[in-house]
Amino acid sequence: MFFTLLLNKRLNSTIQQSILIDIKLIEECRGGNFNNFRKLVELTTPFAYSVAFRMLGNEEQAKDVVQETMVTIWQKLKKIKTAEVYKTWIYRVVVNKCYDQMRKRKRNPEFIADELTWALIANKVSEGASEALENSETSKIISLLTERLSPKQKAVFVLSDLEGMSNDKISEITGISKSAVKANLYHARKSISERVEKYI
Amino acid sequence: MKPESEKYNKVVNLLRESKPVLVSSDDIEREVMNRLKRVHHSGLYLSEVVDFLFGWVYIGWVRRSLIAASIVLVFVFIYQQSIILKRIDVLSRQAVIIDKENVVTPSVEIERLLTVYKNSGGRFPSKTITISERQIKELMESVNELQIKYKELEELIEGDPELKKLIEKKLIEYNRLRINL
Repeated sequence: MFFTLLLNKRLNSTIQQSILIDIKLIEECRGGNFNNFRKLVELTTPFAYSVAFRMLGNEEQAKDVVQETMVTIWQKLKKIKTAEVYKTWIYRVVVNKCYDQMRKRKRNPEFIADELTWALIANKVSEGASEALENSETSKIISLLTERLSPKQKAVFVLSDLEGMSNDKISEITGISKSAVKANLYHARKSISERVEKYI
Repeated sequence: MKPESEKYNKVVNLLRESKPVLVSSDDIEREVMNRLKRVHHSGLYLSEVVDFLFGWVYIGWVRRSLIAASIVLVFVFIYQQSIILKRIDVLSRQAVIIDKENVVTPSVEIERLLTVYKNSGGRFPSKTITISERQIKELMESVNELQIKYKELEELIEGDPELKKLIEKKLIEYNRLRINL
């Protein structure tokens, strides 16, 4: 009997499709089937990229994180207890890789907030934009809004408000307690809200 | 208290609706597979070895324990250093005193001080006479030597009555001269 995991994937900015990852595929990869792993990479990459991109606000860094995540998955896939925990585990690996990337970036900060970005957000918000943003726009907005957040706050904000996960799930992924998730989310929302109120 | 405002909700909705689009997913797949092939063919999973050796640092309670232990060690180190510094300070002060004695009170000076002490009938404040152990030892040796010589001289005088008479006569003359002076 095969179980399936439901993963969300967007092929473009407006159309949303649901992706089914066959548990059998995961089990085969766990057994060391290298050829089937390509299929798993293909299915996992989009949502791993989504989380990484939203946490880092940078396309290139998000791609690096996804690559590193996939390599780690292959190396440690055998260590997960069951295939059912695959999705949670993937998120945990991505979030941890993003933490590493943020630590590196902290030493070399590259994003400088400017008035143009705030103007862009203000325009989009006031227009009530029905069209989704370009990657570059999303990148700028996320960087600007989350630049003052700690890595944990960023992770909680992205997983909760952008990826739509429950606090229990976030706690499981990030390894922090539920009360800490709530506290981090509160501070993240407050910080972002203050910036939005101040500049837009 | 809810910190999020209407504007906040609008911005977050905008971001939620704008899922990042991965244009070059094939490139990522290709790159991942190439990296894995390289690792696969090398036969040795370096990261596995590293994980095996250092993976324990990612365990939460181990990390926290290590942090606590390092903080304790730092405090122990600081405490130890302060004690060592204090002791060095005390020792250095002692060394200065010995040095001072050697320099400030040479043997001539001690003789002078002893003379003053003797003449004052012991009223001279003893604190001002500071001599080192070596100098006391020298003093004791010279006193002993003097006593032996005195004894030998006494025996010599006792054994020779003429010499005794001569010395007694000389002493009387000497004392008379001293009184005259």
